[in-house]
Amino acid sequence: MIRTPLRPLARILRARANGENPSEIEAENRRQRHEQMRDRARNRAESRLLVLGLCFFAAFGAIGLRMGAIAATEPEEPRTAAVGNPIIGQRADILDRNGRILATNFDTHALYAQPPQMIDPRGAADGLAAIFPELDADELYEDFTGTRKFLWIRRQISPEQMQAVHDIGDPGLLFGPREMRLYPNGSIAAHILGGAGYGREGVDSAEVIGVAGVERQFDDYLRDPANEGEPLELSIDLTIQAALERVLQGGMMLMNAKGASAVLMDVHTGEIIAMASLPDFDPNNRPRPLTEGDQSDSPLFNRNVQGLYELGSTFKIFTVAQSMELGLTNPSTMIDTTMPLRVGGFPINDFHYYGPQLSVTDVIVKSSNVGTARIAMEIGAERQQDFLRDLGLMDPTTVEMVEASTGRPIYPQTWREVNTVTISYGHGLSTSPLHLASAYATIANGGTRVAPTLLVQDGPQRGERVISPEVADAAVDMLRQVVVRGTASFGEVAGYEVAGKTGTAEKPNPRGGGYMDDKVIATFASLFPASNPQYVLVVSLDEPTETSGDEPRRTAGWTAVPVAAEIIRRVAPLLGLRPQIEPATVTGVTLTSN
Amino acid sequence: MSYLEYNAKYVPTGPRKILYLNWALVILLTAVASAGFLMLYSVAGGSAEPWMDAQMKRFAVGMVAMVIVGMIPIWFWRNVAALGYVVALVLLVMVEFFGEVGMGAQRWIDIGPLRLQPSELMKIALVMILAAYYDWLPMNKVSRPIWVLLPVAIILIPTALVLKQPDLGTSLLLLMGGGAIMWLAGVHWAYFLTVISAGVGVIVAVFQSRGTSWQLLKDYQFRRIDTFLDPAADPLGAGYHITQAKIALGSGGWTGRGFMQGTQSRLNFLPEKHTDFIFTTLAEEFGFVGAFALLVLYALIIGFCVASALRNRDRFASLLTLGIAVTFFLFFAVNMAMVMGLAPVVGVPLPLVSYGGSAMLILLLGFGLVQSAHVHRPR
Repeated sequence: MIRTPLRPLARILRARANGENPSEIEAENRRQRHEQMRDRARNRAESRLLVLGLCFFAAFGAIGLRMGAIAATEPEEPRTAAVGNPIIGQRADILDRNGRILATNFDTHALYAQPPQMIDPRGAADGLAAIFPELDADELYEDFTGTRKFLWIRRQISPEQMQAVHDIGDPGLLFGPREMRLYPNGSIAAHILGGAGYGREGVDSAEVIGVAGVERQFDDYLRDPANEGEPLELSIDLTIQAALERVLQGGMMLMNAKGASAVLMDVHTGEIIAMASLPDFDPNNRPRPLTEGDQSDSPLFNRNVQGLYELGSTFKIFTVAQSMELGLTNPSTMIDTTMPLRVGGFPINDFHYYGPQLSVTDVIVKSSNVGTARIAMEIGAERQQDFLRDLGLMDPTTVEMVEASTGRPIYPQTWREVNTVTISYGHGLSTSPLHLASAYATIANGGTRVAPTLLVQDGPQRGERVISPEVADAAVDMLRQVVVRGTASFGEVAGYEVAGKTGTAEKPNPRGGGYMDDKVIATFASLFPASNPQYVLVVSLDEPTETSGDEPRRTAGWTAVPVAAEIIRRVAPLLGLRPQIEPATVTGVTLTSN
Repeated sequence: MSYLEYNAKYVPTGPRKILYLNWALVILLTAVASAGFLMLYSVAGGSAEPWMDAQMKRFAVGMVAMVIVGMIPIWFWRNVAALGYVVALVLLVMVEFFGEVGMGAQRWIDIGPLRLQPSELMKIALVMILAAYYDWLPMNKVSRPIWVLLPVAIILIPTALVLKQPDLGTSLLLLMGGGAIMWLAGVHWAYFLTVISAGVGVIVAVFQSRGTSWQLLKDYQFRRIDTFLDPAADPLGAGYHITQAKIALGSGGWTGRGFMQGTQSRLNFLPEKHTDFIFTTLAEEFGFVGAFALLVLYALIIGFCVASALRNRDRFASLLTLGIAVTFFLFFAVNMAMVMGLAPVVGVPLPLVSYGGSAMLILLLGFGLVQSAHVHRPR
């Protein structure tokens, strides 16, 4: 044990000599020091308190002086206007690219009651029940005669209802202004707009906040009073959006699909002209999120942006384009397509056997898995990943919607040779349809990267170059051949030179490994017109079954392609494209396949 | 000094404690609350319903709670200070969490008596834990950086959570209240100087940057600040509250229009007339004299708290008492400044006068702690 010396040493030694107890002196000394310290602390605390007190005093003084100053002013006459409409600035409108209203505001009223001020609770309850059939007169009467001092009756009422309530004439029934977000086009563009709800609610006003889509993404802008009269303009075209939704809805029903999505995008500017996901909803009356089941089946789910699917053979063109870019192949290079091809123990097969060899063009036209796989093995995993990343297929899209960040592509953490092979024809890498659309836009616009956007752009995006213009042209030619004599023969729309690639991907079994062979995602990624591509259209159907034949058909050629063709037939004239007369080419009978 | 060194004989025990309460404080609190009852009666157009009745009941409950809290030994409160802080923090996080899940659902509705928010609880819990912290910390370590950082974190975590709700008023109260306790505890003034000058620096930089190439805020954010600074520019929009409040104060003049004679507030020109802006009713009906009298009552409450704290040799008890006094001061100073257009409208009620349950209850519980410190002070 370490003993600390007793202090003060001189007195201790003297005390020892006199035979007194040194510990007492030590104790006294300690007490003294303690008191000194406490006094110091106390002094400091008091001076601190003094400073704070001065601050208090200054605040008191300022308030008192101000009070006096205001009291001394001449009273102004109270203004009559505005018995409580303190809504601070209105939420900015949202317009389409031609200035048509997609979202605006509507002044409605909220109805509330203050039972203590009520004269005739019975009459008021009966009157209200007559105006609002969903209210129960007896329950209202109980509320009005109970202990409650305040209750909301309806959050929003129409002017007619308001007049009717007014006519009841009970002073205990009161109205508060309520700004309401109105979507005059109903469910059109529902997923893009998202919807708005109430934040803080008071009697005199309620705060309107965006809850999804662009309403949420641009919430700060839309709410800022400084932006009143400066609406948000989207790249959407309302007419085209409506036509596209209509056709897609019909196609979905015809093909017995449980869901469908379509996105139409300008290949140069990246502007999304129309984008629809079905089933949809009415943003005026946004449904609640599903409490059970798969959220990706919810009407609220935006398949184009949030949905991640293996999009199948539509990816083959990327593999082929890269191999041409690298100089490994050209459109007429012959590829060995003998099957089965075994990679890492897995057999790779084609839908049909196409013979021992196909040209690269025919690999695309006939959609040969084996041929694509062999090309991909030449490219290798690393270069493949780099290329897909350059196309934007490995990262979330940057489209201006809050949901975009959740659409992060899913790809294998360790990229083996078998992954390279399956991803080359679109399996094992899940992306959103919007990803696919922007990657196709790169091929269509001559090879530069395009980021999808919902805002009107000044001109073409000058993204970084991914493939050379020559390769892009060759790829577009191949895609054109797919429609002319390949798997997408139903995609031909006279005069609009549709080019594209089908993809039919079996859905992964939700109950664990493997794929389900009777449930597919059928996709058609198209661009038009092929001679000078302007637009990309990606149509996806979820679990379609076409039943006009002897047995149910699910491949994209029979399901997604006809729907996409009908959409193009309807929207191409609206987009201002004129039909081009192509020199007639003889197209034989074509087999549709994957 | 620690409570083990008490001469416990001199601390009253049992029901006798009630005689040792700070009765002056009780009377002052009742006086202020009574002014509130009168105003609520007047605002309701000369009726006890719907506000005065409820407010009186709440005040009675609050006073009983205050006495009960005051009879419980102060050392008990010191021992539960940390626990109280953690509980309040957990509740705050839960509000945040549930607010996130219900997308677009309101986090609170301010109708009727129910507006109990964890942020209210945090006001008291923060004062308690900071007082307990500085009671525990040896005096010579108070200004060491590490021991300064810890209370700063204790203050900033709830402040950030409340700010995110978003509730600017309450988070400012937490920040300033916590800072004041650190100041009173004797943290070196250089820390405060640094923080204040940094804050001023940032504000100056932001304004200086306007219109230059390194502009720190977006244009619309600057415009928003403009509306804050000059409400008269937009009298029917953001400036509506303040303009109307000033009219009410002005029309009151020196002696007021007389009880129940106010027009501005009775005719519904003022939203929030019975809550945050009740002071305008008082100023209109009782004029400068009445408003100043209320200010004096508030000052007296603060004065009695400070006197009690100065007589208290226990560090926890005196810091706690001062902390509650500061919180109380900030409440009414911010409210009055806001009503008179000296500060932006941040939504802070006038303590004990504004209609509302949880703010009053929390304040009375706080004064219960002051009573406990007073009753159980070492003698």
